[in-house]
Amino acid sequence: MTSQPIPPSSLPSFSKASEPMIKVEGLRKSFNGREVLKGISFEVFPGEMLAIIGPSGCGKSTLLKLITGLLEPDAGKITLNSEQIGLVFQGSALLNSLTVRENLALALRERKLPKREQDKAIMEDLTLVGLADYIDSFPTQLSGGQQKRTSFARAIVNDPQIILYDEPTTGLDPVMSTVIEDYMIELEKQLHAAGIVVTHQFSTWTRTAHRAILLNQGVVVWEGKPHEALNSTNPYIIQFAKATREGPMLAGKV
Amino acid sequence: MDRPNGITVANPLTLLDKYLGIVLQLVGQATIMFLQTMRYIFRGELSLSEAFRQANMIGLGSLYVVGVTGLFTGFAMSLQISKELAAFGADTAVGGVVALALIREIGPITAGVMVAGRVGSAMAAELSSMVVSEQIDALKIMRVDPVQFLVVPRFLAALVMMPALSIYSMFLGLGGAIFIAQAKANIPPETFLDSVKQTVVGTDFITHIIKSLVFATIIIFFSCSIGLSARGGAEDVGHATTRAVVWTMTIIFIVNYIITALSPLHAS
Repeated sequence: MTSQPIPPSSLPSFSKASEPMIKVEGLRKSFNGREVLKGISFEVFPGEMLAIIGPSGCGKSTLLKLITGLLEPDAGKITLNSEQIGLVFQGSALLNSLTVRENLALALRERKLPKREQDKAIMEDLTLVGLADYIDSFPTQLSGGQQKRTSFARAIVNDPQIILYDEPTTGLDPVMSTVIEDYMIELEKQLHAAGIVVTHQFSTWTRTAHRAILLNQGVVVWEGKPHEALNSTNPYIIQFAKATREGPMLAGKV
Repeated sequence: MDRPNGITVANPLTLLDKYLGIVLQLVGQATIMFLQTMRYIFRGELSLSEAFRQANMIGLGSLYVVGVTGLFTGFAMSLQISKELAAFGADTAVGGVVALALIREIGPITAGVMVAGRVGSAMAAELSSMVVSEQIDALKIMRVDPVQFLVVPRFLAALVMMPALSIYSMFLGLGGAIFIAQAKANIPPETFLDSVKQTVVGTDFITHIIKSLVFATIIIFFSCSIGLSARGGAEDVGHATTRAVVWTMTIIFIVNYIITALSPLHAS
Protein backbone atom coordinates (compact mmCIF):
# COMPACT_ATOMS: atom_id res chain seq x y z
CA MET A 1 0.00 0.00 0.00
CA THR A 2 1.40 3.39 -0.89
CA SER A 3 0.32 6.91 0.00
CA GLN A 4 0.76 10.06 -2.04
CA PRO A 5 4.06 11.84 -1.48
CA ILE A 6 3.79 15.38 -0.22
CA PRO A 7 5.01 18.09 -2.61
CA PRO A 8 8.72 18.85 -2.16
CA SER A 9 7.95 22.49 -1.38
CA SER A 10 6.57 21.40 2.05
CA LEU A 11 10.10 20.65 3.20
CA PRO A 12 12.50 23.42 4.25
CA SER A 13 14.92 24.40 1.50
CA PHE A 14 18.68 23.84 1.66
CA SER A 15 21.68 24.95 -0.35
CA LYS A 16 24.53 22.98 -1.89
CA ALA A 17 26.74 26.06 -1.83
CA SER A 18 28.39 25.15 1.47
CA GLU A 19 30.57 22.17 2.31
CA PRO A 20 28.68 18.87 2.66
CA MET A 21 27.99 17.99 6.27
CA ILE A 22 28.32 14.27 5.53
CA LYS A 23 30.57 12.92 2.79
CA VAL A 24 30.79 9.18 2.15
CA GLU A 25 33.28 7.89 -0.43
CA GLY A 26 33.68 4.32 -1.68
CA LEU A 27 32.41 2.69 1.50
CA ARG A 28 32.84 -1.07 1.76
CA LYS A 29 31.91 -3.44 4.57
CA SER A 30 31.85 -7.23 4.83
CA PHE A 31 30.58 -9.59 7.50
CA ASN A 32 31.88 -13.17 7.59
CA GLY A 33 33.14 -12.89 4.01
CA ARG A 34 29.83 -11.50 2.67
CA GLU A 35 30.17 -8.00 1.29
CA VAL A 36 27.21 -5.95 2.55
CA LEU A 37 28.26 -2.58 1.14
CA LYS A 38 30.15 -2.49 -2.15
CA GLY A 39 31.55 1.01 -2.58
CA ILE A 40 28.82 3.47 -1.55
CA SER A 41 29.34 7.22 -2.11
CA PHE A 42 27.08 10.20 -1.38
CA GLU A 43 27.00 13.66 0.18
CA VAL A 44 24.47 15.36 2.46
CA PHE A 45 24.37 19.15 2.79
CA PRO A 46 23.27 21.28 5.76
CA GLY A 47 19.48 21.34 5.95
CA GLU A 48 19.12 18.40 3.56
CA MET A 49 17.42 15.13 4.44
CA LEU A 50 18.62 12.08 2.50
CA ALA A 51 16.58 8.89 2.57
CA ILE A 52 18.42 5.60 2.25
CA ILE A 53 15.87 3.06 1.14
CA GLY A 54 15.94 -0.55 0.13
CA PRO A 55 14.74 -4.03 1.01
CA SER A 56 15.58 -5.66 4.34
CA GLY A 57 19.20 -6.79 4.56
CA CYS A 58 20.47 -4.46 1.83
CA GLY A 59 22.93 -2.74 4.21
CA LYS A 60 20.94 0.35 5.23
CA SER A 61 21.43 0.05 8.98
CA THR A 62 25.06 -1.01 8.52
CA LEU A 63 25.61 2.23 6.64
CA LEU A 64 24.24 4.25 9.59
CA LYS A 65 26.42 2.35 12.06
CA LEU A 66 29.47 3.12 9.91
CA ILE A 67 28.59 6.82 9.81
CA THR A 68 28.14 6.98 13.59
CA GLY A 69 31.41 5.11 14.19
CA LEU A 70 29.75 2.10 15.80
CA LEU A 71 31.34 0.00 13.03
CA GLU A 72 34.64 0.44 11.18
CA PRO A 73 34.60 0.33 7.36
CA ASP A 74 36.78 -2.15 5.47
CA ALA A 75 37.51 0.52 2.85
CA GLY A 76 36.35 4.00 1.94
CA LYS A 77 36.13 7.28 3.79
CA ILE A 78 33.48 9.04 5.88
CA THR A 79 33.86 12.77 6.53
CA LEU A 80 31.55 14.43 9.06
CA ASN A 81 31.67 18.20 9.37
CA SER A 82 30.34 18.16 12.93
CA GLU A 83 30.86 16.09 16.06
CA GLN A 84 27.31 16.76 17.25
CA ILE A 85 25.38 13.75 15.99
CA GLY A 86 21.90 12.68 17.03
CA LEU A 87 20.68 9.17 16.28
CA VAL A 88 17.10 7.95 16.57
CA PHE A 89 17.22 4.19 16.95
CA GLN A 90 14.74 1.79 15.40
CA GLY A 91 13.74 0.38 18.78
CA SER A 92 14.09 3.69 20.68
CA ALA A 93 17.03 2.24 22.71
CA LEU A 94 16.12 4.18 25.84
CA LEU A 95 17.81 3.06 29.04
CA ASN A 96 15.06 1.34 30.98
CA SER A 97 16.66 1.89 34.40
CA LEU A 98 16.57 5.68 33.92
CA THR A 99 13.65 8.09 33.80
CA VAL A 100 12.92 10.16 30.70
CA ARG A 101 14.68 13.13 32.35
CA GLU A 102 17.75 11.00 33.18
CA ASN A 103 17.86 9.54 29.66
CA LEU A 104 18.05 13.04 28.19
CA ALA A 105 20.47 14.24 30.88
CA LEU A 106 22.84 11.44 29.90
CA ALA A 107 23.01 12.84 26.38
CA LEU A 108 23.86 16.26 27.85
CA ARG A 109 26.50 14.90 30.22
CA GLU A 110 29.49 15.95 28.12
CA ARG A 111 28.37 19.58 28.07
CA LYS A 112 28.50 19.77 31.88
CA LEU A 113 25.65 22.32 32.00
CA PRO A 114 24.44 23.76 35.32
CA LYS A 115 21.44 21.79 36.52
CA ARG A 116 18.97 24.63 35.86
CA GLU A 117 20.12 24.97 32.23
CA GLN A 118 20.10 21.22 31.78
CA ASP A 119 16.55 20.95 33.11
CA LYS A 120 15.48 23.83 30.85
CA ALA A 121 16.95 22.15 27.75
CA ILE A 122 15.30 18.85 28.65
CA MET A 123 11.91 20.45 29.29
CA GLU A 124 12.06 22.40 25.99
CA ASP A 125 12.79 19.23 24.05
CA LEU A 126 10.10 17.23 25.79
CA THR A 127 7.59 20.02 25.18
CA LEU A 128 8.53 19.93 21.48
CA VAL A 129 7.64 16.24 21.29
CA GLY A 130 4.59 16.60 23.55
CA LEU A 131 5.96 14.62 26.49
CA ALA A 132 6.59 17.26 29.16
CA ASP A 133 4.16 15.51 31.51
CA TYR A 134 6.17 12.28 31.30
CA ILE A 135 9.52 13.73 32.39
CA ASP A 136 9.79 11.51 35.46
CA SER A 137 8.32 8.38 33.89
CA PHE A 138 10.39 5.30 33.09
CA PRO A 139 10.50 4.13 29.46
CA THR A 140 8.60 0.97 30.33
CA GLN A 141 5.68 3.16 31.46
CA LEU A 142 5.42 4.76 28.00
CA SER A 143 3.69 3.52 24.85
CA GLY A 144 5.71 2.63 21.73
CA GLY A 145 4.97 5.99 20.14
CA GLN A 146 5.90 7.87 23.31
CA GLN A 147 9.16 5.94 23.56
CA LYS A 148 9.93 6.84 19.97
CA ARG A 149 9.22 10.52 20.67
CA THR A 150 11.47 10.36 23.77
CA SER A 151 14.17 8.90 21.55
CA PHE A 152 13.67 11.92 19.25
CA ALA A 153 14.02 14.29 22.18
CA ARG A 154 17.22 12.56 23.29
CA ALA A 155 18.67 12.74 19.78
CA ILE A 156 18.09 16.50 19.46
CA VAL A 157 18.80 17.64 23.03
CA ASN A 158 22.38 18.53 22.05
CA ASP A 159 21.25 20.61 19.03
CA PRO A 160 22.99 18.24 16.59
CA GLN A 161 24.24 19.39 13.21
CA ILE A 162 23.78 15.85 11.91
CA ILE A 163 20.70 13.79 12.71
CA LEU A 164 20.26 10.17 11.71
CA TYR A 165 17.07 8.12 11.82
CA ASP A 166 17.15 4.31 11.75
CA GLU A 167 13.73 3.03 10.62
CA PRO A 168 11.88 5.70 12.67
CA THR A 169 8.37 4.56 11.71
CA THR A 170 8.83 0.80 11.47
CA GLY A 171 6.44 -1.03 13.77
CA LEU A 172 4.20 1.99 14.39
CA ASP A 173 0.57 2.29 13.36
CA PRO A 174 -0.17 4.58 10.36
CA VAL A 175 -1.40 7.44 12.54
CA MET A 176 1.66 7.37 14.79
CA SER A 177 3.87 7.05 11.68
CA THR A 178 2.38 10.29 10.37
CA VAL A 179 2.94 11.97 13.75
CA ILE A 180 6.60 10.89 13.73
CA GLU A 181 7.05 12.04 10.12
CA ASP A 182 5.57 15.42 11.08
CA TYR A 183 8.10 15.68 13.93
CA MET A 184 10.90 14.91 11.48
CA ILE A 185 9.74 17.68 9.12
CA GLU A 186 9.37 20.09 12.06
CA LEU A 187 12.88 19.25 13.26
CA GLU A 188 14.27 19.85 9.75
CA LYS A 189 12.76 23.32 9.91
CA GLN A 190 14.01 24.06 13.43
CA LEU A 191 17.48 22.50 13.42
CA HIS A 192 18.47 22.94 9.78
CA ALA A 193 20.70 19.90 10.35
CA ALA A 194 21.91 17.46 7.73
CA GLY A 195 19.90 14.28 8.06
CA ILE A 196 19.80 10.71 6.89
CA VAL A 197 16.72 8.58 7.29
CA VAL A 198 17.03 4.84 6.75
CA THR A 199 13.63 3.37 6.01
CA HIS A 200 11.58 1.15 3.78
CA GLN A 201 8.29 2.87 4.63
CA PHE A 202 6.97 4.63 1.51
CA SER A 203 5.30 7.53 3.31
CA THR A 204 8.38 8.19 5.45
CA TRP A 205 10.90 8.64 2.65
CA THR A 206 8.52 10.42 0.32
CA ARG A 207 7.26 12.85 2.99
CA THR A 208 10.45 13.65 4.90
CA ALA A 209 13.37 13.49 2.44
CA HIS A 210 14.66 15.89 -0.19
CA ARG A 211 16.49 13.10 -1.95
CA ALA A 212 16.64 9.31 -1.81
CA ILE A 213 19.09 6.60 -2.76
CA LEU A 214 17.95 3.03 -3.27
CA LEU A 215 20.31 0.27 -2.15
CA ASN A 216 20.10 -3.26 -3.43
CA GLN A 217 22.64 -5.94 -2.54
CA GLY A 218 25.13 -3.34 -1.34
CA VAL A 219 25.11 -0.97 -4.32
CA VAL A 220 23.17 2.19 -5.18
CA VAL A 221 20.71 1.27 -7.95
CA TRP A 222 18.74 4.52 -8.04
CA GLU A 223 19.11 8.10 -6.81
CA GLY A 224 16.59 10.92 -7.16
CA LYS A 225 13.90 13.06 -5.62
CA PRO A 226 11.13 11.11 -3.90
CA HIS A 227 8.32 12.67 -5.94
CA GLU A 228 10.11 11.50 -9.12
CA ALA A 229 10.21 7.88 -8.02
CA LEU A 230 6.86 6.75 -9.43
CA ASN A 231 7.56 8.41 -12.80
CA SER A 232 11.04 6.93 -13.08
CA THR A 233 11.95 4.36 -15.73
CA ASN A 234 14.44 2.71 -13.36
CA PRO A 235 13.06 -0.83 -12.77
CA TYR A 236 14.45 -1.03 -9.22
CA ILE A 237 12.72 2.10 -7.90
CA ILE A 238 9.52 1.23 -9.79
CA GLN A 239 9.43 -2.17 -8.12
CA PHE A 240 10.32 -0.77 -4.68
CA ALA A 241 7.89 2.18 -4.81
CA LYS A 242 5.02 0.07 -6.13
CA ALA A 243 5.88 -2.82 -3.78
CA THR A 244 5.42 -5.49 -6.44
CA ARG A 245 7.08 -8.88 -6.90
CA GLU A 246 7.82 -8.19 -10.54
CA GLY A 247 11.19 -6.55 -11.00
CA PRO A 248 14.94 -7.00 -10.65
CA MET A 249 15.00 -7.05 -6.85
CA LEU A 250 14.85 -10.52 -5.30
CA ALA A 251 14.52 -11.95 -8.85
CA GLY A 252 14.61 -15.74 -8.67
CA LYS A 253 14.82 -15.73 -4.86
CA VAL A 254 11.15 -15.75 -3.92
CA MET B 1 36.87 -38.49 11.78
CA ASP B 2 33.88 -40.51 10.52
CA ARG B 3 32.60 -43.61 12.26
CA PRO B 4 31.01 -46.41 10.21
CA ASN B 5 27.51 -45.40 11.38
CA GLY B 6 28.02 -41.95 9.89
CA ILE B 7 28.40 -40.07 13.19
CA THR B 8 31.13 -37.46 12.93
CA VAL B 9 33.42 -37.40 15.93
CA ALA B 10 35.36 -34.22 16.53
CA ASN B 11 39.10 -34.49 16.88
CA PRO B 12 39.90 -34.07 20.62
CA LEU B 13 42.80 -31.76 19.77
CA THR B 14 40.50 -29.57 17.66
CA LEU B 15 38.03 -29.42 20.55
CA LEU B 16 40.80 -28.57 23.01
CA ASP B 17 42.02 -25.83 20.67
CA LYS B 18 38.47 -24.45 20.33
CA TYR B 19 37.75 -24.39 24.07
CA LEU B 20 41.20 -23.02 24.91
CA GLY B 21 40.49 -20.19 22.47
CA ILE B 22 37.13 -19.47 24.15
CA VAL B 23 38.72 -19.49 27.63
CA LEU B 24 41.57 -17.19 26.56
CA GLN B 25 39.19 -14.79 24.84
CA LEU B 26 36.89 -14.65 27.87
CA VAL B 27 39.75 -14.21 30.34
CA GLY B 28 41.24 -11.52 28.07
CA GLN B 29 37.94 -9.60 27.84
CA ALA B 30 37.37 -9.80 31.60
CA THR B 31 40.95 -8.67 32.32
CA ILE B 32 40.70 -5.66 29.98
CA MET B 33 37.36 -4.72 31.57
CA PHE B 34 38.92 -5.04 35.04
CA LEU B 35 41.79 -2.71 34.07
CA GLN B 36 39.37 -0.17 32.55
CA THR B 37 37.26 -0.31 35.72
CA MET B 38 40.28 0.22 37.98
CA ARG B 39 41.28 3.24 35.87
CA TYR B 40 37.86 4.83 36.43
CA ILE B 41 37.97 4.02 40.15
CA PHE B 42 41.44 5.55 40.60
CA ARG B 43 40.31 8.66 38.69
CA GLY B 44 37.28 8.91 40.98
CA GLU B 45 34.87 8.84 38.02
CA LEU B 46 32.13 7.01 39.90
CA SER B 47 28.36 7.08 40.11
CA LEU B 48 27.74 6.39 43.80
CA SER B 49 23.95 6.57 43.47
CA GLU B 50 24.02 3.78 40.88
CA ALA B 51 26.47 1.84 43.08
CA PHE B 52 23.98 2.09 45.99
CA ARG B 53 21.19 0.89 43.70
CA GLN B 54 23.30 -2.08 42.64
CA ALA B 55 24.32 -2.77 46.25
CA ASN B 56 20.66 -2.97 47.15
CA MET B 57 20.04 -5.36 44.26
CA ILE B 58 23.07 -7.56 45.01
CA GLY B 59 22.94 -7.45 48.81
CA LEU B 60 19.33 -7.21 49.92
CA GLY B 61 18.16 -9.21 46.93
CA SER B 62 20.48 -12.09 47.84
CA LEU B 63 19.89 -12.12 51.62
CA TYR B 64 17.21 -14.79 51.46
CA VAL B 65 18.94 -17.29 49.18
CA VAL B 66 22.38 -16.87 50.75
CA GLY B 67 20.87 -17.09 54.25
CA VAL B 68 18.87 -20.23 53.59
CA THR B 69 21.75 -22.04 51.86
CA GLY B 70 24.20 -21.01 54.59
CA LEU B 71 21.84 -22.17 57.35
CA PHE B 72 21.11 -25.55 55.79
CA THR B 73 24.78 -26.13 54.96
CA GLY B 74 25.52 -25.57 58.67
CA PHE B 75 22.74 -28.02 59.58
CA ALA B 76 24.07 -30.71 57.24
CA MET B 77 27.72 -30.32 58.22
CA SER B 78 26.94 -30.41 61.92
CA LEU B 79 24.73 -33.47 61.45
CA GLN B 80 27.53 -35.32 59.63
CA ILE B 81 30.41 -34.30 61.89
CA SER B 82 28.93 -34.05 65.39
CA LYS B 83 27.61 -37.62 65.53
CA GLU B 84 30.82 -39.09 64.11
CA LEU B 85 33.13 -37.17 66.46
CA ALA B 86 30.86 -37.67 69.46
CA ALA B 87 31.03 -41.44 68.84
CA PHE B 88 34.82 -41.21 69.28
CA GLY B 89 34.47 -39.01 72.34
CA ALA B 90 35.77 -35.99 70.47
CA ASP B 91 32.69 -33.83 70.88
CA THR B 92 34.86 -30.91 72.06
CA ALA B 93 36.36 -30.75 68.55
CA VAL B 94 33.05 -30.48 66.69
CA GLY B 95 32.80 -26.69 66.85
CA GLY B 96 36.34 -26.19 65.56
CA VAL B 97 35.99 -28.59 62.66
CA VAL B 98 32.62 -27.16 61.55
CA ALA B 99 33.79 -23.55 61.99
CA LEU B 100 36.98 -24.10 60.03
CA ALA B 101 35.08 -25.63 57.15
CA LEU B 102 32.49 -22.85 57.19
CA ILE B 103 34.95 -19.97 57.51
CA ARG B 104 37.64 -21.19 55.13
CA GLU B 105 35.57 -22.92 52.45
CA ILE B 106 31.84 -23.36 52.72
CA GLY B 107 30.87 -19.79 53.66
CA PRO B 108 32.61 -18.01 50.77
CA ILE B 109 31.82 -20.76 48.27
CA THR B 110 28.11 -20.88 49.21
CA ALA B 111 27.75 -17.11 48.98
CA GLY B 112 29.82 -17.01 45.77
CA VAL B 113 27.81 -19.70 44.02
CA MET B 114 24.46 -18.26 45.09
CA VAL B 115 25.41 -14.72 44.05
CA ALA B 116 26.83 -16.04 40.76
CA GLY B 117 23.54 -17.83 40.12
CA ARG B 118 21.29 -14.97 41.12
CA VAL B 119 23.25 -11.79 40.38
CA GLY B 120 25.74 -12.91 37.71
CA SER B 121 22.99 -14.39 35.58
CA ALA B 122 20.80 -11.30 36.02
CA MET B 123 23.67 -9.01 35.03
CA ALA B 124 24.54 -11.05 31.94
CA ALA B 125 20.86 -11.09 30.93
CA GLU B 126 20.41 -7.36 31.52
CA LEU B 127 23.56 -6.31 29.68
CA SER B 128 23.04 -8.69 26.76
CA SER B 129 19.45 -7.48 26.34
CA MET B 130 20.82 -3.92 26.37
CA VAL B 131 23.17 -4.92 23.54
CA VAL B 132 20.36 -6.56 21.57
CA SER B 133 18.02 -3.57 22.03
CA GLU B 134 20.80 -1.14 20.98
CA GLN B 135 20.95 0.58 24.38
CA ILE B 136 24.72 0.01 24.47
CA ASP B 137 25.03 1.59 21.01
CA ALA B 138 22.99 4.54 22.32
CA LEU B 139 25.46 4.97 25.19
CA LYS B 140 28.40 4.93 22.77
CA ILE B 141 26.74 7.53 20.54
CA MET B 142 26.32 9.75 23.63
CA ARG B 143 30.04 9.13 24.34
CA VAL B 144 29.25 7.31 27.56
CA ASP B 145 31.57 4.36 28.14
CA PRO B 146 29.43 1.30 29.03
CA VAL B 147 32.20 0.09 31.35
CA GLN B 148 32.12 3.32 33.36
CA PHE B 149 28.33 3.56 33.34
CA LEU B 150 27.40 -0.08 33.88
CA VAL B 151 30.36 -2.10 35.18
CA VAL B 152 32.06 0.26 37.67
CA PRO B 153 28.99 0.69 39.95
CA ARG B 154 28.29 -3.04 39.86
CA PHE B 155 31.89 -3.82 40.82
CA LEU B 156 31.92 -1.33 43.72
CA ALA B 157 28.61 -2.69 44.98
CA ALA B 158 29.82 -6.29 44.76
CA LEU B 159 33.07 -5.46 46.59
CA VAL B 160 31.05 -4.28 49.58
CA MET B 161 28.17 -6.74 49.45
CA MET B 162 29.97 -10.03 48.73
CA PRO B 163 32.08 -10.06 51.95
CA ALA B 164 28.98 -8.98 53.88
CA LEU B 165 26.90 -11.78 52.37
CA SER B 166 29.70 -14.26 52.91
CA ILE B 167 30.06 -13.37 56.61
CA TYR B 168 26.29 -13.44 57.00
CA SER B 169 26.19 -16.91 55.41
CA MET B 170 28.99 -18.07 57.68
CA PHE B 171 27.26 -16.88 60.87
CA LEU B 172 23.95 -18.42 59.88
CA GLY B 173 25.78 -21.66 59.09
CA LEU B 174 27.47 -21.59 62.49
CA GLY B 175 24.15 -20.89 64.19
CA GLY B 176 22.59 -23.83 62.39
CA ALA B 177 25.54 -26.04 63.29
CA ILE B 178 25.27 -25.13 67.00
CA PHE B 179 21.55 -25.93 66.98
CA ILE B 180 21.99 -29.34 65.31
CA ALA B 181 25.02 -30.23 67.45
CA GLN B 182 22.91 -29.75 70.56
CA ALA B 183 19.75 -31.33 69.19
CA LYS B 184 21.32 -34.42 67.60
CA ALA B 185 24.58 -35.02 69.52
CA ASN B 186 23.80 -33.28 72.80
CA ILE B 187 26.80 -30.97 72.52
CA PRO B 188 26.14 -27.76 74.50
CA PRO B 189 26.60 -24.45 72.68
CA GLU B 190 29.31 -23.43 75.18
CA THR B 191 31.39 -26.49 74.29
CA PHE B 192 30.85 -25.86 70.60
CA LEU B 193 31.91 -22.19 70.87
CA ASP B 194 34.95 -23.02 73.06
CA SER B 195 36.12 -25.36 70.33
CA VAL B 196 35.60 -22.63 67.74
CA LYS B 197 37.68 -20.16 69.78
CA GLN B 198 40.53 -22.63 70.23
CA THR B 199 40.67 -23.63 66.55
CA VAL B 200 39.91 -20.59 64.45
CA VAL B 201 42.69 -18.02 63.93
CA GLY B 202 42.74 -14.55 62.37
CA THR B 203 44.22 -15.86 59.12
CA ASP B 204 41.06 -17.90 58.57
CA PHE B 205 38.96 -14.73 58.55
CA ILE B 206 41.43 -12.98 56.25
CA THR B 207 41.27 -15.92 53.84
CA HIS B 208 37.47 -15.75 54.04
CA ILE B 209 37.40 -12.04 53.14
CA ILE B 210 40.00 -12.43 50.36
CA LYS B 211 37.98 -15.25 48.82
CA SER B 212 34.76 -13.27 48.88
CA LEU B 213 36.46 -10.24 47.27
CA VAL B 214 38.01 -12.40 44.55
CA PHE B 215 34.69 -14.15 43.92
CA ALA B 216 32.96 -10.76 43.63
CA THR B 217 35.54 -9.72 41.03
CA ILE B 218 35.07 -12.96 39.07
CA ILE B 219 31.27 -12.71 39.12
CA ILE B 220 31.17 -9.08 37.98
CA PHE B 221 33.80 -9.14 35.25
CA PHE B 222 32.94 -12.49 33.70
CA SER B 223 29.18 -11.85 33.79
CA CYS B 224 29.52 -8.32 32.44
CA SER B 225 31.99 -9.23 29.70
CA ILE B 226 29.78 -12.14 28.60
CA GLY B 227 26.73 -9.85 28.65
CA LEU B 228 28.37 -7.01 26.76
CA SER B 229 29.88 -9.29 24.12
CA ALA B 230 26.48 -10.78 23.20
CA ARG B 231 25.54 -10.46 19.54
CA GLY B 232 22.44 -11.20 17.54
CA GLY B 233 18.86 -11.51 18.75
CA ALA B 234 16.84 -12.44 21.80
CA GLU B 235 18.16 -16.00 21.92
CA ASP B 236 21.64 -14.59 22.61
CA VAL B 237 20.31 -13.24 25.91
CA GLY B 238 19.54 -16.80 27.02
CA HIS B 239 22.95 -18.04 25.87
CA ALA B 240 24.73 -15.22 27.68
CA THR B 241 22.85 -15.97 30.91
CA THR B 242 23.74 -19.66 30.80
CA ARG B 243 27.36 -18.96 29.88
CA ALA B 244 27.72 -16.46 32.73
CA VAL B 245 26.46 -18.91 35.34
CA VAL B 246 28.53 -21.85 34.05
CA TRP B 247 31.75 -19.87 33.65
CA THR B 248 31.60 -17.89 36.89
CA MET B 249 30.79 -20.96 38.99
CA THR B 250 33.52 -23.04 37.34
CA ILE B 251 36.10 -20.31 37.79
CA ILE B 252 35.03 -19.71 41.40
CA PHE B 253 35.71 -23.36 42.26
CA ILE B 254 39.10 -23.35 40.51
CA VAL B 255 40.20 -20.07 42.10
CA ASN B 256 38.91 -21.21 45.50
CA TYR B 257 41.35 -24.13 45.38
CA ILE B 258 44.21 -21.87 44.28
CA ILE B 259 43.61 -19.43 47.16
CA THR B 260 43.36 -22.30 49.65
CA ALA B 261 46.60 -23.79 48.33
CA LEU B 262 48.36 -20.42 48.53
CA SER B 263 47.08 -19.52 52.00
CA PRO B 264 49.76 -19.50 54.76
CA LEU B 265 48.28 -22.62 56.36
CA HIS B 266 48.91 -24.73 53.27
CA ALA B 267 51.65 -22.93 51.36
CA SER B 268 54.52 -24.23 53.54
